[in-house]
This record gives sequence, C-alpha cells and structure tokens, in this order.
Amino acid sequence: MRNPQRAVKAERPPHFAGTVKRIWSYLSARKGLLAAVLLMVVASSILGLLGPFIIGKAIDNYLTSKNSARFEWVLIWLAGVYFFYSLSVWLQNFWMIGISQETVGRMRSDLFGQLHNLPIAFYDKRQYGELMSRVTNDIENVSSTLNSSVIQIFSSVLTLVGTLAVMLYLSPLLTLVTMAIVPLMFAGMKWITSRTSKLYREQQRNLGELNGFIEESISGHKIIKSFSEEKKVIREFQEKNKKLKKAGYWAQVYTGFIPKLMNVLNNSSFALVALAGGFFALKGMVTVGTIVTFTEYARQFTRPLNDLSNQFNTLLSAVAGADRVFDILDERKEDFKEGGANDSSKLIGEVEFSHVSFSYEKGGDTVQELNFRAAPGEKVALVGPTGAGKSTIINLISRLYEPDEGKILFDGQDAAEIRRESIRKQMGFVLQDSFLFEDSIRENIRYGRLDASDKEVEEAARTANAHAFISKLPEGYDTVLSAEGSGISQGQKQLLSIARAILAKPAILILDEATSSIDTITELKIKEALSRLMEGRTTFMIAHRLNTIRQADQILVVDQGRIIERGNHQQLLKQKGFYYTLSEKQFKKPAVKAGM
Amino acid sequence: MKEKVISYMKPYRLPIGVALILMLVELAVELTQPLLMARIIDEGIMKNDLRAVVALGGEMLGLSLLAFVSGLSNSFVAAYASQNFGYDLRNNLFEKIQGFLFADFNRYPSSSLITRITNDVNQLQSTLFMCLRIAMRAPLLVIGGVTMALLVNARLAMVYLVIIPVLLVFLIAIMNRSSALFGKVQAALDKVNRVLRENLAGMKLIKSYARGDHERSRFKKANSNLTERTASALRLTETAVPILIFVMNLAILAILWFGNMDIKSGKTTVGETVAIVNYAARITTAFSMFSFIITVLSRAKASSGRANEILSYPSHEDGGNDTISRENNKGSKIEFQHIGFKYSEETPEILHDITFTAWPGERVAIMGATGSGKSSLIQLIPKLYEPNTGSILIDDKNIKHLRTDSLRRQIGYVPQEALLFTGTIKENLAWGKEDASLKEMAEAVEDAQIRDTIEALPNQYDTLLGQKGVNLSGGQKQRLSIARALVKKAGILLLDDSTSALDLQTEAKLLKALEKYKVTTLIVTQKISTAKEADRILLLVDGRIIAQGSHEELLECSPLYREIYASQFEETGVES
Repeated sequence: MRNPQRAVKAERPPHFAGTVKRIWSYLSARKGLLAAVLLMVVASSILGLLGPFIIGKAIDNYLTSKNSARFEWVLIWLAGVYFFYSLSVWLQNFWMIGISQETVGRMRSDLFGQLHNLPIAFYDKRQYGELMSRVTNDIENVSSTLNSSVIQIFSSVLTLVGTLAVMLYLSPLLTLVTMAIVPLMFAGMKWITSRTSKLYREQQRNLGELNGFIEESISGHKIIKSFSEEKKVIREFQEKNKKLKKAGYWAQVYTGFIPKLMNVLNNSSFALVALAGGFFALKGMVTVGTIVTFTEYARQFTRPLNDLSNQFNTLLSAVAGADRVFDILDERKEDFKEGGANDSSKLIGEVEFSHVSFSYEKGGDTVQELNFRAAPGEKVALVGPTGAGKSTIINLISRLYEPDEGKILFDGQDAAEIRRESIRKQMGFVLQDSFLFEDSIRENIRYGRLDASDKEVEEAARTANAHAFISKLPEGYDTVLSAEGSGISQGQKQLLSIARAILAKPAILILDEATSSIDTITELKIKEALSRLMEGRTTFMIAHRLNTIRQADQILVVDQGRIIERGNHQQLLKQKGFYYTLSEKQFKKPAVKAGM
Repeated sequence: MKEKVISYMKPYRLPIGVALILMLVELAVELTQPLLMARIIDEGIMKNDLRAVVALGGEMLGLSLLAFVSGLSNSFVAAYASQNFGYDLRNNLFEKIQGFLFADFNRYPSSSLITRITNDVNQLQSTLFMCLRIAMRAPLLVIGGVTMALLVNARLAMVYLVIIPVLLVFLIAIMNRSSALFGKVQAALDKVNRVLRENLAGMKLIKSYARGDHERSRFKKANSNLTERTASALRLTETAVPILIFVMNLAILAILWFGNMDIKSGKTTVGETVAIVNYAARITTAFSMFSFIITVLSRAKASSGRANEILSYPSHEDGGNDTISRENNKGSKIEFQHIGFKYSEETPEILHDITFTAWPGERVAIMGATGSGKSSLIQLIPKLYEPNTGSILIDDKNIKHLRTDSLRRQIGYVPQEALLFTGTIKENLAWGKEDASLKEMAEAVEDAQIRDTIEALPNQYDTLLGQKGVNLSGGQKQRLSIARALVKKAGILLLDDSTSALDLQTEAKLLKALEKYKVTTLIVTQKISTAKEADRILLLVDGRIIAQGSHEELLECSPLYREIYASQFEETGVES
C-alpha cells in the first residue's frame, strides 16, 4: 500500500506569504468583529497599564502618608479598572473564538464543497483517508492557531509600536543600538523557518498518508483478516508512522529553537544597551536617568518580539495545514470545460453518442469512435467481455467523465452546454457497487427522491422485492446500516439500490450489473417491476446474464472499446457473430455431464 | 489522563526528567536575569563604572548562553520524548484495532478510529511537548511568587493562602467541565469525518444522483455542530481566565486595604506592602498563561480518554494454540456440524443446523436466494465470525481450537466485493504471500484470466492501483482478487460470488483453470452454468440446506432447483 500521490504530483514548494494572505482573506469576512476585537485589545492594554498606575498613586498618596480619607474610593476605582480589564479580555477572546471557528468552519465546508466539484477522475488516484486528513487534521492546525495567535499578534504588535515610539522619544541613538539585534533576529528566524516550513509540510503530508493507510486498512480489514496479514499491515503502519515521527521530531526541534534564540538575543541586546549607554553617558551624550528608563523599555520592547516569535511556531504549522487545504481548493473543478451553464429542461430521454472517444489515462484508448442513438423510451443493452468498456460508456452517459473527442447529445443538445447536475437529476442509477450510507434503510431508499413520503419509500421497496426481508429485520425500515455485520447481504443491498432507483422516477435509467448478486428467482420477480420501471424511460443496461437483456430494443456488443455489433436479439442471432456465440453458450441447456 | 495512556510515557522517563531539569535551569537563569539587570544599573550605570557594566554584562551574556544551550537541548529531548510517545501510542492503537473482531467495528465506526489514531494522539503528543517546555512555567511562577510573598510578610500574604486554594478548586472544576466539552468536540470531529468518508466512498453515486447539495447540507450540519462545540469548549476555558485575573486583582485591593491599616498601626512597612503587591502582579501574569494550559490539558484529558477506550478494549483471545498445515496435496476436508449462527443477539438467526462435508479436492457450489445465508456460511470458515452453535472441522480439527493465523494461511478467500489496496499490481498479488515469485504470480493471473489485461498495461505488474483499484473494471478487479487468493496456494479456496461480473466465457475458462489446483473449493454462485461444474451443489433456503447433490440429481429431485434452472434457461416470452 503506497501513496500514489507522489507519482501524480510533484511536491509544491510552500509559499508562506501567499498562504497567510489567503487565510487573512477568510478572516477578513468578519472585518467588523475583528475591529471590535482589536478595540478590546487596545482597551485591555490601556486598562492593563492603568491598574499599576493607580496603585502607584495609591502608594504615593495614601500608604506613605498618614492620609486615609477617601482611600476606599481609590480602591473602588481600581476595582472598576480591574473589572473592565477582565471584561475586555473576556470579550476579545469570546469574539475571536467566534471568528476563528466560523473561519475554520467555512474553510472546511469550502473544502467539502470543492470535493463535490472535482471530477471523478480526481478520486481515481487519491486515498480517501489522505483527503480526510486535510479536512480534519490540517484544518485543525489552522483552527488552533487562529484561536490563540491572532490576539497575541495584535497585542504584541501594539506594545511593540508603543514601546518603539517611547524609545525613539527617549533616545534615538540608543534605539538604534537596540535595533541592532533586529537583523540578527530576522536572519535567525529565516534560517529556522526555511527548515520548519518544509518540515511542517512534510509532517502534515506524512500524517495524511498515515491517515490514508489507516482508512484503507480499516475498510479492507476483511481481506487483512482472512489472509491473516495483520502483522504485515502493522509493520507497514510502523514504517509510515516512523516517517511521521521523524518529520515531527525535526519540526518540533527547530521551532523550539525560536524562543531560545530570541531570549539570547534579548539578553545580549540588554547588555549592549547597558554597555553603549554607559559609554554614551561617560561622553555626556545621554543622562543616566534616560539610560535607566531606556533599559526598562528595551526589556519591554523585546518581550512582544518574544511573544511573536512564540506564535510563529503555531503559525507555521497552520500555514502548512492551510497550504494543503488550498492545494485541493486550487484543483481544477469538474465544470471547467463547461461553456454553457444552461439547465436542461425536462428531458424526453433521447441520448446520442457521436464519434465519442475516451481514455482514463493519456494515450490509452478505453473506448473509441462510439456512435449510437437511443430513442426516447428505448431499452439499450450493452454486452461484451469484461473490460470491454461497457461501464466506461455508462460513466460517459452519466457525465462522470468527459469524452476526449466527439459529442454526447441529450435531446439533441450538446451535453457540454448543459449543466451536469441538471442532467444527472433526471437519471436513475443502479451501479455495480451498490453503495449505501450508514443510515436507516428508509433514508437510503429515499436518497432516490428526497421528498418521497414513507409510503412511497415502502412502495418502492415492495416493487424491488426488498420489503419481505426488510420487514423481517427487528427494526424494519429503521434498521441502520453499518459497516459490518448488519446482516444485510450483498444481494439485499442491490435490491435496496434498485428500490432507490425506482423511487427516483428518472427520464433516463442506468442499470450497471444491477442484478449481478441477486439470485435468478428473485431476479425474475423484480424483472416485471423493472420492465414496468423502464416503460417510457430510456434505459441503458449492462448484464452478463443474457436473458435479462433479451427484450432490449437495441443491443450494442462492445469489444475492446468499440461497438462491433448492434441490433436486437433476433437480428444479432441472425448475424451469427459474437453475440450469437455468447448466446449459444449461455442458452444451450447444459447436457448431462458425461461420466458422472 | 488515564493510567493506560500515561504508561506509554514510562519508557521516556529519562528524557522527560532531563527535559524538566533543563527547563528549570532555563527558568532559574531567567529569574536571575532581572537581578543582574538591576545590578548593571545600580553598580554600573548609576556609578558611571564602565568596567562593572562590562563584567556584569559578560556574566549576563554567559548565563543567557547557558540558558540558550539548555533551551536548545530541551528542544531536542522534549521533541524526542513526545514524538516517541506519540509514535508508540499510534502503533499500539493501530495494533489493537487490527485485533478487532468484526462486531467491534460496529461499535467504533472507522471514522472515529481514524480520528483517534491521528487527531487524538496529536493532541496528546503536543501536550506532552508543551508540558516539557513551557506549561510548567506558570505554576512554578505562582508557587515562587506566593513563597516569596509569604517570606516578606506572612500576615499580608495570608490573602493568597485564602484565595489560591479557592482558585485551584475553581480551575479543576473548569478543567473537568471543559474536558467533557472537548470530548464532545472530538465526537463531533468523528461525525464530520464520517460524513466526509462516506462522501468520498460514495462520490460516484452522489454525483450520479446529483445530490451534491443534499450532502453539502448534511456536512454543514456536522460542521456547524463541530464549530459550535469547539467554540463553546474554548469559550469556557477563556472565560475562566478573566475571572481568575479579576479575583487575583481583588486580592491586590485587599492587600492594599489591609496593608494601609497595618501600616497605620505599625504592623508592616510600606516597602513590604509594595513588594507583596508586586508579587501579586507577577502571579496574575502567570495566571493569564493558564488559559492556554487549561485548554491544552483538558483537550488532552478528553483525547486520552478516547485513546484509552480503545487501548483497554478487551482483547480477543485466540481460540486455541493448535496449528494446521497442509498434509495431503489434494486439499483440506471441511466439515460443518450443526452450525447455527446469528450476527448479534438482536438480529434473527441466519443459519440453522447446517451440516455437510466437503471432501479433499471437492468443489462444492452453494446456491440460494438473496439473503439465504450463503456469504455468512463462507465467512465462518476463516473465523471471520464465530458460529453460535455447532462446530466446523478442517482436516478433522475443530477450528475453534486452531490458531487463527494458522487456519487462515490455509484459506484463499475471495470476498464478494473485490477490494484491492493502493499499490502496484505486484504488491497486491503478493499480498497473501510476500515471497511469491514473478512466475507464481504470472501463473495465478493466467489462471484467473487476467494475464493478458495486465501485460497489456504499459507498466504491467508495476501498474499502480488506486484505492479499490479504480483504474480497473469490476470484472478485472474480481479476477485480480481471485489471482491474489490463488497465489497463496492454499488448501481451501472460498469464492463468494466472486465471478458475478465476469462474462460466461471468461468464467468457464477460469473454472477450468482452477481444476488443476489441489484445493477444496466452496463457491457461492447464482449461475447454474457455474454450479453444474461443481461436484456437489448445496441449496440454501432461509439458512437451511434443503437439498444437496450434483446438478443432475438436483434437477431430478429439487423443485426449487428446477425453478432456478428455468429462470435461467427457459425462454421467457421471446421465441428465438
């Protein structure tokens, strides 16, 4: 089990500024509230300074003198300041959490929406678990950063600007000395960041791969168990886990460097200021008092820088996470080719293929030069050996893939000019893998038509011959289908998908091996229902059992991606070609086996 | 955090200890730093003594270098401990899950298991890292501040002794509450993951039915649930801190009030009061770090609970120690004795009193209506499920007493849904037998009638398959998963309707090719054409064997079989 992604796409270099800008564009949707947060940060900074100021006054005016009159008033004032300080802190956090969670929620649903916009071909080479990791783990990184960092960055920048102003006022010369460490700091940060941003990205990628591996091994646990290969899977897991550990280790180590570097630079800066100050004082360029105040401010200057650098770690991991999210958001959408955004009107159901060629991989040739026309209400059967391209034709009709060449026409209109969804909404499907949701049987059937009533759902189930087994289940239609052992067999799942398609009442019906896991007696029973369903609807069906397709108006025999024979059952038999041999084999009543 | 998760820290006691010591060194240096600064000012600058400035500045630089070095080392050691802790935890969780029975997967949906291994472990891992680097700092600052204040003036500092225990209780209460909330956050994350996973797996169907909007609104619900829960959990911890700070600030008021009275009565001095007020300010600053700590710790508590739940889930003892090996070269004997089976207590019984024997080398077909129990019967043989009554014997050994891996090595199982793993075709083929040679693989794919397809691919056996082998058609996937089972050369071959997507010609060739394998085959099928190639056919109705025999025998004696036959060969309505 290897991650195929690497083969598909080269690693994109992380681009810090662009990603931050993009996160900001998400945040800025709530500009008003952000401004309020900023206001609260300013308020809390001022109130935070006011507290000590009042205390200083109180000490000077009351404690050191014998005067006690109206002392309680000072304390009440102080209590008020403290109260509003706490309130402003609380408000800024409260609002910021709201903003960040909303932002993250929006990112998550954008990503989810994008997953639906991407063409099916995108999924051919992706592991689900790897994609899941982007929606959960990567966005989680963004979330935790936004919660804590934004306010920190605000207030750090605020104090930074404030102290810088005071410092400049006190002594531009000493300020210059203090600033001497700033380039050093940037150089150090850059050195670290150039490593960590790569490492964080790698860590998130490894985490994604691990997630993909876990997902696959859980959904494939039946195979793993029955082949008794748990040990091998665990071994592979450990290898991937080790890779994650390695990237995570170095990312953590390097980001751990940042605050330490800041600390040592701060201290040197302080020593430098003291030294230079002493020197300047000797020369009479500054007063001693200025130096004392200045060192105090120099210390204050470096503290927000320290805080900022601490925030940098989390910011980096957020950027790495967001980067992976944006990667997907930047994938080309399914509709990129669509010139027209026309909604199709109600389809009559005519489908035409005109010189259609298509391949999944570039340079391959899955189907070529397909030409056929299905009149409204016609039943078209696709016959041929496995891998001939029958399911591909179905995929093209349902517009999961776009033809490389040629045109597909619905009611005479070029499909490329109609919105995909508006066509699909008029189709009903029973696909090869009968996919069901982890939901109740009732809701699974209702998926065919969301506004169907319970009665209609049950009717559809009856028609599909599924009612009998459903009502035997202890919870009937409310039985929730789960991943394993809900006691629903593959054939029963197929019956449910048929019921789902019956409920949809589509203009075009697509049956891809719809009854392959259903026993032939049950099949006979639902056959009538199916033919009633096909009545008046254009139907495309694939089946290996020829007796299910004998009544088709048109049979297309597909071999190696081409239509090699066409006609109805009788016509094809008369041709004595591929279909004839197939039919001969299947309908020849088995002779009594010799020698038994 | 619960004991089980804690126990995974034990191997890293040494690095954890070292990291803590390094952190203390750093903290100590940091605390002396203001003292040195004061001395630089007092002894150097105030006295215009440049030499003192140089000396003390040098000392300060030296000390900060020491702090730097210990800080850097701390980075290495703390990262080492936390990353390894996370690594071990993930490995153990994964291993535990590999040991899960099928029923366990119903209790824990896969999306939840995935979140637990990745997201929850991440939380725990970064919490450990934080604890080793910064989180301890705040409590230490509080303790240091209070101690110093008590030393200065015990009477005034009593205020702390009253307030701090109260605040501690408050903190713990908040933490308990918020860890419960964070537990809900993780559960909401599971839900998001679940919708997501389902959407990814069912994308084709969803797109086909143009249900994108429906799914978006479903996701929106799960998503907004997650954001709301996260917001309320975070808001709780963020509310705690302003309250803490406010209470601490009130303590300053109290100190000022009592200090003022005491000064008037001569019990204390102004200097002492000022000092205690200063300490209070420091303690308050330390408290503002608590919001971060509470969040991290309560998240970790929730996550460790979830990891713990899996880790302490009862392991399933392997049934026995007996092993089995291929003794004869004809295939194994499979014997079902009065087997009864149901998936769970609540669901109805699927199989009743199934008794039959498949002799070495025999090919037995199993037929029956949809839901009659065919797949269930097959799945009992590799012990994917355990029967409720009766016993199954393989080569006269009760599989209950067999070691699972030993049993499963004897079985080539092809499930109904062809499931391939991400990787090359070669890797998929060698899945059951890692040392399989290219020749063995070629032989298996030849017999599975897929060799031409594979060899026509540009990269042949090195072709990468996506998840579930999406590049291949349904029938090709089925044949590949049959080939995978054949590579194993096991004594038992179980084909669970695994030829449904094959056309008859291909299927006939495949069945023919299987004849040369020395194997006992159970084959579930719907097709008479397949069944008649078997030595014997079991006909299942509602979980009971109602008839068995060869094709001819059943045609003669079983009306149901005749009916199935008719459904496939009678010309219904159309004359040819």
